[in-house]
Amino acid sequence: MPNTDQVMVRLEAICKNFGPVQANREITLDIKAGTITALLGENGAGKSTLMSILAGQLVPDSGSVYIDGLKVSLTSTRRAIRYGIGMVYQHFKLVEAMTVSENVFLGQESGPLLNRDRMRARVLDLATDAGLAVDPDAKVANLSMGEKQRVEILRLLHRDSRILIFDEPTAVLTPPEVKQLFGALKQLASRGKAIIFISHKLAEVLEIADEIAILRRGSLTDQMPTDMVTSRAELARKMVGREVILQVARQPVEHRQRVLKIEGLSDDVLKDVDLELRQGEILGLVGVAGNGQKRLVEIICGLQRPAGGHISILGKTWTKFFGNTNRDNLLSYIPEDRQGLATCQHLNMLENFLITTRHAFCNGPWLSKQRARPKVSDLITAFDVQPARIAATARQLSGGNLQKLVLAREFFRRPRLIVAEQPTQGLDIGATEEVWNLLLQARERAGILLVTGDLKEALSLADRVVVIFAGKLMDAFAVGDTARVEQIGLLMAGLDPSAGKV
Amino acid sequence: MPLWHSCLVLSGAVLLSLGISAAMLAFQDKPALEGIVRLFLGAFGSIWALEDCLVKAIPLFLCSLGVAVAFRLQIWNIGAEGQFALGAIGASWFALTFKGLGPLVMLPGMLGMALFAGGLWACIPAVLKLRMKANEIIVTLMMNYIAILFLDYLVYGPWKDQESYGFPMTPVFSPAAVVATTGSTRLNWGTLLCFLFGVLIWIFLRYSRLGFELMASGENVRCARYARLPYERLVILVMVISGALAGCAGFLEASANLNRLQPSIMVGYGYTAIVVAWLARLNPLYIGLASFLLAGLRVGVENLQLDLQVPAAFGSIMEGLILLTVLAAGFFNQYRLGVHKK
Repeated sequence: MPNTDQVMVRLEAICKNFGPVQANREITLDIKAGTITALLGENGAGKSTLMSILAGQLVPDSGSVYIDGLKVSLTSTRRAIRYGIGMVYQHFKLVEAMTVSENVFLGQESGPLLNRDRMRARVLDLATDAGLAVDPDAKVANLSMGEKQRVEILRLLHRDSRILIFDEPTAVLTPPEVKQLFGALKQLASRGKAIIFISHKLAEVLEIADEIAILRRGSLTDQMPTDMVTSRAELARKMVGREVILQVARQPVEHRQRVLKIEGLSDDVLKDVDLELRQGEILGLVGVAGNGQKRLVEIICGLQRPAGGHISILGKTWTKFFGNTNRDNLLSYIPEDRQGLATCQHLNMLENFLITTRHAFCNGPWLSKQRARPKVSDLITAFDVQPARIAATARQLSGGNLQKLVLAREFFRRPRLIVAEQPTQGLDIGATEEVWNLLLQARERAGILLVTGDLKEALSLADRVVVIFAGKLMDAFAVGDTARVEQIGLLMAGLDPSAGKV
Repeated sequence: MPLWHSCLVLSGAVLLSLGISAAMLAFQDKPALEGIVRLFLGAFGSIWALEDCLVKAIPLFLCSLGVAVAFRLQIWNIGAEGQFALGAIGASWFALTFKGLGPLVMLPGMLGMALFAGGLWACIPAVLKLRMKANEIIVTLMMNYIAILFLDYLVYGPWKDQESYGFPMTPVFSPAAVVATTGSTRLNWGTLLCFLFGVLIWIFLRYSRLGFELMASGENVRCARYARLPYERLVILVMVISGALAGCAGFLEASANLNRLQPSIMVGYGYTAIVVAWLARLNPLYIGLASFLLAGLRVGVENLQLDLQVPAAFGSIMEGLILLTVLAAGFFNQYRLGVHKK
């Protein structure tokens, strides 16, 4: 039985600045063996920075790291790995074209020649041992997100990592997969591994963690055992430093004119999709990532040409709507990929703002950046984007702040049809609440297609929900229909309870 | 980083490349230090040399301005050489076909034809890229050879001067078709065109909507599609601008310097222009400066060839050295050397 009081890692007075930004201030944190420690905090609170320091990706400006009581210098990921520290990143670092066992052994091969039988046996061993079922010969490209995550964990176990860091591990998982992951984490902890779990989601933190450490604006503000937490609201208040109401007041808005109608849309991914959306309505499209949401969104937003079926956007056919030069401001797409799709990393906030709003600031062939400048300043203040400097590039903004910039930009266009894809992913509670309220307000003018993997979000905001699985819309119903809402989990897994087939 | 720091880094890089060049001279048993001094004096040591630098800087500037616009969109136009050739051909065609015109019609006509021919030539790889996903680097590069061979065919064949004693060249243009030099210098009025185009491109990039769209698309093509920036039209536009400017350089070279079309017009300005554009970080103002300096290198190396009998390729080697050291020095503009604390 491992001694759970044994401190495995001690971070002492860690400071890290990025220019004028203090990402970590004097953080001292003990992580015990056999314990799951949750690191909770808002966007930009410094969680990722702290863990990158522990994983050897960043070197702290001052402060020290002790492992098993010995001071260590983690100047590279290689060294961190040698000390038994491993991290599962939000975006998996796997070679898609290779098999599970090849990925597990990647970079850890014992010599120039590979012994595939031994590799397979080792992976199977590790998998059974940790309760992480996965086929060692499967190609990673063919695995679900949950399975890929298991491969990442196996890779760490193969390296005999004792300190496992998980960066928002549940963001990409279905509810059953989350359950499995939590089971595995508990099992790993019971074997004496130290687990660090980065998250925004209060419910899961309360469910899984033994210890909770709260970061706020770069400082460690609170640390307590989970048993000491009395309520979720208390935890939320500690995290944001103010009272947050997690309920949004949703007043019904009259549904008016139809803004989107899709009939019989089929291609190699989508199967006979029918959809209708009216002004004043939020339609939640829920499903496990990778079931055709992306294709559907890209078609609606004009990034991909529909292969078959009929689409009408604001009363115009697809070809006609996207055929003109888009001087209108009618369709806003808030994509999941804020860094790669919605913004240009090296451009500043003003320029990123103008990317989709440029037509509003044009005078003949000229673009007046000066005229846009005060507008952007106002929006930065109104949306509380940090750092609040127009000259800051998108690269310098954290994920949540970048999302606020994108939202400020897209709402500025006063669209009639909004496609919001995982709009609150990676956002803290405060920001999530703001985004939700913004979306609810936007219903006045617009019909909103809310694509989300977060059921709670869908049920809090949407009027109707459609469930997508393998390119097919399984069912559509109003959120008030509690009987069917109960079945969403089954529908997301491709089971149609009403048809009685499995 | 403060400006003085960038200047320091840049001068360090140039000094390093000069040092390596000197070492190469020494390796060939030439006097190293004297060689570098002669290079400088040859380029900037006399009014005559400075004039020569400016004359050679004109085609470099125009070609470089053009490729810089394309590079901003991350369209790798390596074809300035061929577009330059087509510009010269277009202008020559106009001059040889309408011999009797006065300068007020002749010169704008030649310029127009040069812009048109260069732009059209550059349009081909753009269309191939958009329609068939053909890599523009390869297409523009290969089209250079086609353009040069086409020019050769014209001056060896249909356009050959009957009185040239068999030399491959067209007849001399009529006086109306020659861009005059200014005052007593050898500098031609094409310099004015350089200023004009330089300012126009600067204004275009900085203040126009298309200029903004071009910059954003160059940063992130996916974002360009997301924001419905007219990426395809921009590709055509930058290639046409690129080709037209190189074509203009071809026109000035044929009209003002050679007064006819002949194969010796092709001396590699189109390739040096790529070096210039990168040295100047695609900034129109710096392109002016870098064109002058690299023109100076060409003039200086000619001097070195005569004085020290170094091979002609020495100039190209130095050009490459400067580019490599300056690009490598870019690293020190972003990072600082420090002592690693354990």
